[in-house]
Amino acid sequence: MNNSPSLNNLRILDLTRIWAGPLGTRTLGDFGADVIKVSDPRNPISSEAHVNEKLNRNKKNIALRLDTKKGRDIFLELVRISDVLVENYRPRVMRNFNLTYDDIKKVNPNIIMCSMPGFGLDGPYSEFPAFGSTAEAMSGIVSMMGYEENHPIQTGMSYADPVSAINLVGTLLTYARHRSITGEGCFIEIDLSDSPLGGIGEYIVANSVTGYQRPIQGNSHEQFSPHDAFPSKNTDEWIAISITTENEWGKFKEITSIESLNDSKFSSFKSRKKHEVDLYEIISKWTQKFSSTELMELLQQNEIPAGRLSNYHQILSDPHLNSREYFVDFSDINQRYDGQAIPGHQLSKEKWTPMDELGKSSKYILRNYLGYTQSEIDSLEEEEIIKPATGDYFI
Amino acid sequence: MEKSYQQKQNLYEPLKGIKVVEVAQGVAGPHCGKILAGLGAEVLKVEIPPDGDWSRKFGPMIPSKDDLESSALFLHNNTGKKSVVMDWTEKEGFVNLQNLINKSDILIEDWDLKDRKSLNISKDFFIKQNPKLIEMCVTAFGLSGPYSTYKSTPMILFALGGFMNIMGSPDKKPIMLPGFQADYVTGINANNAIQIALWERDSISNKGQFLELSMIETLINLHQAPFEMDHGGNRQRMGHRQSALSAKGFPPGVSSVPAEDGYLTFGGGSQPIFETLCLMLGRPELIETEEFQNVFKNPESGVLMDKYMIDWMKGKTKQEVFIEVSTQWLLPVSPINTIRDILEDEQFNHKNAFQEIDHPMVGLAKYARLPFSINNKKLNIKRAPLLGENSNE
Repeated sequence: MNNSPSLNNLRILDLTRIWAGPLGTRTLGDFGADVIKVSDPRNPISSEAHVNEKLNRNKKNIALRLDTKKGRDIFLELVRISDVLVENYRPRVMRNFNLTYDDIKKVNPNIIMCSMPGFGLDGPYSEFPAFGSTAEAMSGIVSMMGYEENHPIQTGMSYADPVSAINLVGTLLTYARHRSITGEGCFIEIDLSDSPLGGIGEYIVANSVTGYQRPIQGNSHEQFSPHDAFPSKNTDEWIAISITTENEWGKFKEITSIESLNDSKFSSFKSRKKHEVDLYEIISKWTQKFSSTELMELLQQNEIPAGRLSNYHQILSDPHLNSREYFVDFSDINQRYDGQAIPGHQLSKEKWTPMDELGKSSKYILRNYLGYTQSEIDSLEEEEIIKPATGDYFI
Repeated sequence: MEKSYQQKQNLYEPLKGIKVVEVAQGVAGPHCGKILAGLGAEVLKVEIPPDGDWSRKFGPMIPSKDDLESSALFLHNNTGKKSVVMDWTEKEGFVNLQNLINKSDILIEDWDLKDRKSLNISKDFFIKQNPKLIEMCVTAFGLSGPYSTYKSTPMILFALGGFMNIMGSPDKKPIMLPGFQADYVTGINANNAIQIALWERDSISNKGQFLELSMIETLINLHQAPFEMDHGGNRQRMGHRQSALSAKGFPPGVSSVPAEDGYLTFGGGSQPIFETLCLMLGRPELIETEEFQNVFKNPESGVLMDKYMIDWMKGKTKQEVFIEVSTQWLLPVSPINTIRDILEDEQFNHKNAFQEIDHPMVGLAKYARLPFSINNKKLNIKRAPLLGENSNE
């Protein structure tokens, strides 16, 4: 068995920022790909709240002014030696740099280039600014989320971003493999607003036939009851309980020993659904006697689907995740981050590196990848082509 | 890489020649199989008689000539596959399944510890016979650890994955995303793991792998904020506003607010966006009012700003607001589209996001294509198979 990580024969040129792009290329880095992140030296990478640190591990950073001829030339030298280029600027940015796929392909005809715009590189909304939070609204998923009919609320987590990030990984690798076999590169476009559609595909099929729009209904479920978050004895700690079969309902009644649950109005899914308000009130009284962890353990021991609503502290100390050695500790910056969910031959964890500060690997890359001499590097620094600025910058 | 694929594959069927056996049911495993089929792989879905995949009986349902061919959930997640019926829980069926797996590149299964025990198989059972096999095992919690025997539903995973806690209003109970999102993101990640293993197999090792993927770990990878937050606390639910990533919080105006015929979400978080929004609303004085600018420290400012935005949108439709704000003010905003809205949307249709496909039992319906384009072209998908449609092949 070989011990080298799966992607250590791939070089990724990474022009991504904020979230979707960096999360996607992070996965490639975790599997040993050589990820070179190119940043504008005038914009320090914010270390605010460690968000960028979390998303940019296992990458080398080069600071480069793409709006200068020399900087752009260096970038094209990097294009020449890379397998993949990923970017997630607004469409006009790459056009203004003269770095569209047509430009890139002239330098490296076999490269795989991937753009991740908000609504698309072309079409009526292509020039509109977009974030993960607005792209999720565009995608339709938010229209089914909330407490009351006709009052949608955003997810709060910019769902379009992480879904686009995971869509990036497999798509890129499919075409990297295709290129290895056929020699053919290509241009991939992943639109933030398009990414969540796969996760609501059943509603798209249904709507196109019958006009069905799934109503906004809190946590209520079409086929399970009870199905909701219930309060525990601690403030804002909740337990999710979802009873999926009559067998589980029977066990639930047994465990809780609540006399009133034996009432005939709770005897079937349909009638429980009809009397859900009463039912939830009864269950809430019982759940408030315990902590959410106690409830989860008690119910799961009796084969009833239940899970506590973990907060961030609970995630970090979660016994299951820790027993699977999921987390990774970066002792230099005293941070504990999520590991990599995707199984396979990852870079071994002792080799993981925390985020490169802006321009940290500039000289290394110029010298070792592109053969620049010390005096050439010095003059690039003098001309501020690669010199990092200091200060704070919006994440 | 092996040249044997070269004759078969092209940009629009890059996995042509790859054979996949799928015994996984429901959403996560099948969604992965659907992606592989969409990329040109031959995906054989092996279903247990008499009813096959349980998602055939799970809603939303649409009118059909056959009850087992009426689930929109199944139709969506099984496009492009073949279906054979085989009871591999019985001895003879299992031998037949084994023969299929021995001739395949990829196996997608969802056997948890209990299933593996009753099938009496170890992790290397199939790979021993077919060393090039990539076996994807998709379960809720994985095959080790204290939750590995736990039961789950999408809501349970959203709860333990730390998302439910940050979704919904701070003064109400937390809520979850609609449908099977935990399963869908895991299905995408299953494809990611398979593509990484295929890359390794076909470019370096010539060997397959057993891949154990859990839904819980997939979800936890999708948090933007670090779990150790700078204010020492937890990420908060912010209702119709975006949940803050740090103690600095977001300025007011990063929220979902109603226009005349529906809601829009205004994105943001930065000072320039906040200032442009104030100018748009005709309230430049707010820019100078420092205590107004942090909704985290001053929730009242969020409420006021929402009111100003709602007033500004009076008499306008959500689409009118969207176009005006995006083109005149260059602010990130989007209507909260319904499913009907997206099917009729100019941009989605320009990008060819949907494909109309005929099906012998349900007729014409629109399907979301795979979420990417290659050289500006979306890949074509084919309809889902009828139960056992390919049993005789």
